[in-house]
Amino acid sequence: MSAVFKREFLSYFRSPVGYVAIAIFSFLSGFIFYSMFSQGVANIGSEVISLRSFFVIIVPIITMGLLAEDKKRGTEILYYTTPINLFSVVVGKILAAFALYAVMFLNVIIHAIVAVSFGGTIGVGSVGSIIVFFFMAFMFISMGTFASAITDNQIVSAIVAFVIILFTQVLSTFAEYIGSAFKSIALSIKISSDAAAKIGHNIDSFISWFDPFAKTTDFRIGIFSVSALVFLVSIGILFMYLTYRVLDKKRWSQA
Amino acid sequence: MSKQIKTETKKSDNRADKLKLYSIGSVVLLIAIILLVNFLFDRMFGNALTFDFSDAGQNSLSQESIDFIDSLPEGTAIRVVGLFSRPDEVDSTPYQYIIPLLDDYVRKSDGKIIVEYIDPNQQPAIISQLDPTNSYNLSQKMDSFVVQYGGKIKVISPIDCYSYDEEYLWQTGNYLITSNNTEFTFSNAMYSLVKGFASKAYVITGLKNTGNTGIMSIMDSMAFEVGEIQASDVFSIPDDCDLLILNGPNTDISEKMFVSISDYLNRGGKMIVAVDYSADNITETYPRLNQLVNIMGINIDPLLVFENDPGLQMSENPLYSTVNTSEEFAGYSNMPYFTNAFARSIRALETPDSIGTTIPALFTSNNAQVKSVDANGNIMDNGSEASGQYNVAMYSYASNGAEMFVFGTLTFTSDTYLNEYGYNSYNADFFRGCVRELNDMNDAGSLNISTKLVDNYSIDSTKATASNATIILVIFMIIIPLALVSMAVIVYTKRKNL
Repeated sequence: MSAVFKREFLSYFRSPVGYVAIAIFSFLSGFIFYSMFSQGVANIGSEVISLRSFFVIIVPIITMGLLAEDKKRGTEILYYTTPINLFSVVVGKILAAFALYAVMFLNVIIHAIVAVSFGGTIGVGSVGSIIVFFFMAFMFISMGTFASAITDNQIVSAIVAFVIILFTQVLSTFAEYIGSAFKSIALSIKISSDAAAKIGHNIDSFISWFDPFAKTTDFRIGIFSVSALVFLVSIGILFMYLTYRVLDKKRWSQA
Repeated sequence: MSKQIKTETKKSDNRADKLKLYSIGSVVLLIAIILLVNFLFDRMFGNALTFDFSDAGQNSLSQESIDFIDSLPEGTAIRVVGLFSRPDEVDSTPYQYIIPLLDDYVRKSDGKIIVEYIDPNQQPAIISQLDPTNSYNLSQKMDSFVVQYGGKIKVISPIDCYSYDEEYLWQTGNYLITSNNTEFTFSNAMYSLVKGFASKAYVITGLKNTGNTGIMSIMDSMAFEVGEIQASDVFSIPDDCDLLILNGPNTDISEKMFVSISDYLNRGGKMIVAVDYSADNITETYPRLNQLVNIMGINIDPLLVFENDPGLQMSENPLYSTVNTSEEFAGYSNMPYFTNAFARSIRALETPDSIGTTIPALFTSNNAQVKSVDANGNIMDNGSEASGQYNVAMYSYASNGAEMFVFGTLTFTSDTYLNEYGYNSYNADFFRGCVRELNDMNDAGSLNISTKLVDNYSIDSTKATASNATIILVIFMIIIPLALVSMAVIVYTKRKNL
């Protein structure tokens, strides 16, 4: 696993991908920090939570080549022919992307140092935001890795990852529409307006329960919820396992 | 031979099918386990493993509220309804400190408090369900919360939950939250609904044009049942009156009122009087009202307070200023100074009939003046008194139990002020303190929950200059990203040339 991790992590810096991803992250985080600073405020926790919105851009860039590139070059055969556990391959690749995210995060650490040197404070709530940020990064990187596993085309992989992450980002809005649709259907079949509203609301709540952004938004104001972290980790593990199954499928489908 | 190949292929297909089935089954099983684990974890530990890391504990209840909730008998059902759909993102909205705290009420109440968000646009029946008599006009309060218990309700607007920087509001017209009173507001609303009305206050009406809605709301939130007494020839004070309020009269009280109120004071009554200078009462000197407050050793002078200390003036206007409070009243609010405008000076005046001992409650700097005003509102040249400290409010108590606060300004009681600055401004806090003082209800009448200061992420204003912001912009948004893009180009070029 460490060999896979090392190879993948260094490959980010042997190609433009790592630099471009960090450059985009630097620009975006710099923009948020500058916006706050120009108003006389430096809330690192809020900056970190705002950065969640950019997973949809950064994650596809850093995960698109993780497995798709190997498939395209045919080097994936090494996974099946060398004495290495496929799950270790998946974990190693995800850890490499995660480590790149940690490198990117140095930007925020620098912002925090600047904020403190300008008389700002870093509360415990900010630490909570940083923790949840990394948990979210793990989940989205797992999703991106899965997207990379199902195709041998990096562009297709990036688009699939983009769509999956975007879907999670708009899940609450989507839930609202579905809830409204069910409410309308209920009204059309002569259910009372209160009952119809309740049906719509319950469906909305059910779908919104899966929204990682809604679960983590309160970290910005200092609320630290362990169940949100459990949710993020478990979804990350699910996609990690799905990636493993996709790779493993090739082994037995060739039998 | 061909039969053997067929058998091998069949075996291989069977194995592939089994592996496929295993693969799909394992994924489905994992999804089911993950959903179940998350659901159970959320149900069993979600509340217990949610922590409030905000600096002042903004999002969690203090021990006073928890003790109150714990003291409620099993089966108590307090319902809090937000008259809107719950927003996905509360940061930087008026609900930022309200919704997370309400979540904590739910977490810690063990089912005694239920919080719902029902948009009347989607469920119109909720309005009539909460307020069948339409006494609260809820359809016009769609940003508010309704606390309901035992058929009674209290309406809480987000503005009731915060204190604002009054100087900032004065100068910019924008609200800047300085402290958070959400827990105080909600817990006391629940407290007064559950405990019922402890005392009865009467507000005298008919002597001014504007209303008393603000102070009546404040009194209501303090578990007072508030009634009105019309100023008239048959004026009398009901026997159940625990507190009498005369707020901003533009005309003097009648002889009948003087007799009735002085009798009330001689029986140990409690009273708050508030007057000021305005276009409607500029020539009024309140001789009978003065005769009344003289009983408590206080006099309302027909003199306008001028604050000459620039440090206390607001917007460099000597008629708008902050006033200080004495040690005796410092605990009424988190701030030791309050806003004052167009104040009449209040002073101690001993008469043969006086029964009260006076204490200055609010006063100016040592550099203030009081000036006479003519009928047109102009300062009279020869009407100034020497510079010194002047009182804007006084407190008086008598051995028979009578107590009185007299304010020379309406910035503590007028609808105009309270509507603009909210019911949690420092002045409103001070007014609440006065009410508690008069009714000896510091401990019993309401929950004494401290105001919470909001998390402050401001940076040093001397360092947060435009030039420093530009430096931040250049470094973090231009230099660092460009350097990284340059590196990417170099790496790309080198790889291309390999």
